[in-house]
Amino acid sequence: MWQTISTWALEATAVFVKEWRCEFRTRYALNTLALFAFTTLVVVSFSLGPLGVDRSHGTAVLPVLLWIILLFSVAAGLPRTFVQEEETQTAMALRLSATPSALFCGKLLYNLTLVLALEVLVTPAYVIMTSLEVASPWLLVAVLAAGGYGLATGSTLVAAIIAQARSKGTLFSVLSFPILLPLLVLAVELTRGATAGDPGGVAVPVLLLYDATITVAGLMLFPVVWNP
Amino acid sequence: MLRGVSGTVDPGEMMLVTGPNGSGKSTLLRCLAGLLAADGGTIAYQENGTPLDGAERRRRVGVIAPDLAFYAELTVEENLAFFARLRRVPAARGLGVLSRLNLPLDRLAGNLSSGMRQRLRWGFALLHSPRLLLLDEPFQNFDAPGERIARELLEEHLAEGGLAVVANPSSLDFHHVANHLDLGA
Repeated sequence: MWQTISTWALEATAVFVKEWRCEFRTRYALNTLALFAFTTLVVVSFSLGPLGVDRSHGTAVLPVLLWIILLFSVAAGLPRTFVQEEETQTAMALRLSATPSALFCGKLLYNLTLVLALEVLVTPAYVIMTSLEVASPWLLVAVLAAGGYGLATGSTLVAAIIAQARSKGTLFSVLSFPILLPLLVLAVELTRGATAGDPGGVAVPVLLLYDATITVAGLMLFPVVWNP
Repeated sequence: MLRGVSGTVDPGEMMLVTGPNGSGKSTLLRCLAGLLAADGGTIAYQENGTPLDGAERRRRVGVIAPDLAFYAELTVEENLAFFARLRRVPAARGLGVLSRLNLPLDRLAGNLSSGMRQRLRWGFALLHSPRLLLLDEPFQNFDAPGERIARELLEEHLAEGGLAVVANPSSLDFHHVANHLDLGA
């Protein structure tokens, strides 16, 4: 059994390493995510920064905008995960070689590192540029970690579903809406709590439950979606 | 698309599938490989007495197809090392296959000529020493040395007790052909 688990982990790691190797040579997702995040960050900070909105309104609006920036940056880059495999016709070689669950986890790990890197770059800049006061920094870190994981997992699953469809862009938006909406509502609520010093209450375990559910759903659905 | 297609192939034998464009040769091979689910009919394949379903066949068979592509950003060696890891075979096995095919290890797959890409497909198909080879137009784009190497590899595979199903628009000069399925008839 341990041998099966270790070979499965080696497969997932191989996919993860391959993804980053290809990404470092093309920089498609990195450029897309960084460009979109930077542009929206600058627009928001100019419009709603220290000069644009007073502090009382800022606490209510700024957490929402942070997650909108993260969502749209992710939506600009992550759907390519599986679409590119289909468009460049490498999907057949992957289907013939990889264990579906290991492939899903390798891709998820790659998307997760992208999302976390995005959060690490965007959030401090956003907090500084909008003068957002964070009363509970550790809660904010926890929300970003759990929310980022949910965002990466949901996006990876939707990316796999849309890869073989024709209207990929439209379908990503349509499918992402019901899958990512609960996550975003919770993440915004908890981020708002982190800025106000509210511990978050039941929203934290619900967010973790969402992450666990979307992971199990992804592992169960992916082999069906990926193979005939 | 395919109706009334039937045939068997035993160890050391090759089934040749011929027919004009659009006759269903590639579809048949995809069904055999477990890449497409057939609407009806039966595909029975076993290794060492164990019957394999579509998902198991997919991992075991060696496939060459015109639309089988590799990562353009990775070198030939990196591509085969990646698939060797997924196939759970030592990377040295990939290098051994590549040396037989005379492929430049450090060239990006995206910069390969069509003939070299076909050699890489052969390397991919033979990487995990499959018993069953499913070859869709396996000699296309080859120059004379490339075709000679590929024929030698196929001969060796069959001589070692392997099986092959080869789809080609026209007939092939192979003495191992035990069964000829003409989809154009």
